[in-house]
This record gives sequence, structure tokens and C-alpha cells, in this order.
Amino acid sequence: MPAVKIKRASSSVDMTAMTDVAFLLLTFFILTAQFRSQDAASIDTPSSISGIKVPDKDIMTIGLGKDGKVYFGIDNQNNRIAMLENIAAAKGITFSDKEKKEFALMSNFGLPIAQLKSFLGMPKEQQAKIKQPGIPTDSTGAGATNELKDWVFNSRKANNDLRIALKGDNLAKFPEFKNVLATLQAQNINKFNLITGTEAPPAGWKAD
Amino acid sequence: MAEINTGGGGGKHDGGKVRSKKASTRVDMTPMVDLGFLLITFFILATTLSKPSSMTLNVPDKTKQEETEPIKASNVMTVFLGKDNKAHYIFGKAANEDPELKTVGYGYEFRQAIQENARKVSADKFVVVIKPTKESTYRNMVDVLDEMAITKTKRYALVDQLTPDEKKLLKDKVKIDA
Repeated sequence: MPAVKIKRASSSVDMTAMTDVAFLLLTFFILTAQFRSQDAASIDTPSSISGIKVPDKDIMTIGLGKDGKVYFGIDNQNNRIAMLENIAAAKGITFSDKEKKEFALMSNFGLPIAQLKSFLGMPKEQQAKIKQPGIPTDSTGAGATNELKDWVFNSRKANNDLRIALKGDNLAKFPEFKNVLATLQAQNINKFNLITGTEAPPAGWKAD
Repeated sequence: MAEINTGGGGGKHDGGKVRSKKASTRVDMTPMVDLGFLLITFFILATTLSKPSSMTLNVPDKTKQEETEPIKASNVMTVFLGKDNKAHYIFGKAANEDPELKTVGYGYEFRQAIQENARKVSADKFVVVIKPTKESTYRNMVDVLDEMAITKTKRYALVDQLTPDEKKLLKDKVKIDA
């Protein structure tokens, strides 16, 4: 009787299952991907225990940078064009189709209307380099130089269902926030969301 | 590596026919797995999965003047948001003789202060007046609003004007006029 040979285990592993899982995950991520949009400025939001999520659509975001600059953006590209057309008509400026298309791609911006046209004419790389000066606001909320009120008004004209989200930076000073608040209140907007990060509530805390 | 050698053919048995060596049906999947995980990593890093949360803020209508019953000063805790992430608070009215101005940091200390003061009056009468000064940041305000949610303070107000008494009280703590 020959000696029983111990069957040596194969050192190679069947990777089919792993490949399956990997590609399943890959497909999932591709399908659910929402790419980080290129923002006009990075805004570091404070965190809160609030569990309410920001809605996906019909949202107007007013950003407040750490240096007090105000940025503005709405979510839908068609609405962006409609908003630009509204504001152009109100201000007596005309934008070419190419500029409108360019504008539709910007998720948010912080420029006075007068500078918008020349900004849209620039190549992409140059746009990214420019420090946007922010949208002019004032403390009364309805002054002639307050352009934020025009944007808010005209974006709501383009889409009346827009909800307003305010995204402020940790370091933004309160008076700057007050200017934005005054602008909204001047248009009788009394309900809006403050975008915050998520933070765990203290132990034992329950929402009611 | 990943291939399993199952190419069993080609062995010459005595007197058997010479068979052509069968090509292995196994494919080396390592590069594919590599690529798969590379892409996964990319998509994980390039997307925003966790959506930010939001707090709703309702502010009173400025165009309507509603007559409300005046709030009793003894039920009011006034919080001043000062500089360097410090909050100052008084319980009662600033016009009172010598109100005690206490200073707290945000977070636990602040929460304790609210709860302590809330215990002094009945729950439905307790009012917090939040007065951010020029030196406070947006973060401070969100923190305080959050604290209101945590301590379940239902009645609070955001006021941005200081009374002369309060100005006097705060003059060595914060810059009033910027």
C-alpha cells in the first residue's frame, strides 16, 4: 500500500466572489454618486443635533463665507437660466446663449451682477482662480445696492417652490448673518433652513 | 497568484494517446479586482454620501405687529454671545440692581446654566432671549439654537439690539460699537 499522500491545499484563492462583491459595490457607488460640486468658496458649517436632512431638490442656497462674503446658488440648471433671464431683464443686461449655458453650470457664485458677464466670458481655469467678491447685501435688506434680494426674488420667480437654505461658515460674524436675515425678512420670508453638519445628541436625549 | 492550475491534460500514460494540452479555463482575475477596488475607492472619496442636516429657523413676521402679553422679567434668561466663544448670561432684567453676569463657554457649561435657570421658574414661562453681539460668530448662534433644542426650551427669541442697561453691563466684556 502506497503511503497516503497529504493533498496539498492550493495556495491560490478563487477570487470570483470577491470580484462579484467589488463590482456590485462599484455599481452601487456609480449609480448613487452625487459628485461634489465645485463651490465658489469652501464653507465649513457648524454642527447641530438636528436630524432633518436638507431636501434634494427645489433648494436655494445662500452661502455665507468666513470672511462675510455672500454666495448664492439654486439647484436646477433650467431654473438657473430662467433666473438669469429674469434678472437680466430687470437690470437691463443681456447675456448670450453661451454665457447662459456657462452660468447654468455654476452651482453657486458670489459676484455683483455687473461683474458677472465678464466672469462668464473667462475660461474655466481662470474662473477658478478668481476670488469672488461676494454678492452685495446691506443691513436694511431692501436697499438699492442689495443684490441678494434681486437674486432671491428672481429665483423665486423662476421656481416658486424653492426652499431656502442658509449655509454659514463657523467663523462668519453675526452682523453678516443679520444682513442676510434682513434681506430675507424684507421679502417676507420667515422660514428657512440652516445647513449644519451632524452631531450626536447628548446621551439620553430624545426628540419629541 | 489567483489562478488555479487545473490544466490536467497532457499527462502521458503508458500506452495512452498523446493528448494536446488543454488550455486552462481559469482566468487570472487579480488585475480586475485591483481595478475594481481602485474605482470603488475613487467613488467613495469623490462623492458626498452623508447629506448635511438642517435646522429650521422660523422668524416672526416683521410686517405684522402682534400684541402680546409682556413677559415677566423674572422669567427671562438673557444670553449675550460674546467674543472668543464665550457666552455671558443674566437671569432677570438688566435694569435690576446689580444683576449677576456669568460667563460660560458653549457646550456642557452652557447647557447646565440653562437647565439651572429653567428650574427656577415653571417650564411654560421660561424664556431665553439670545442677544448675539457684533463679535459673536454664526457658529455661536447655531450652537445656542442647538442648545435650545437639546434643553427643549420652547420659548426663545433672537434679538440683536442691546438696551442701554445691558450695554453698561457688558461694556468691559465685549466691544459694543464696532
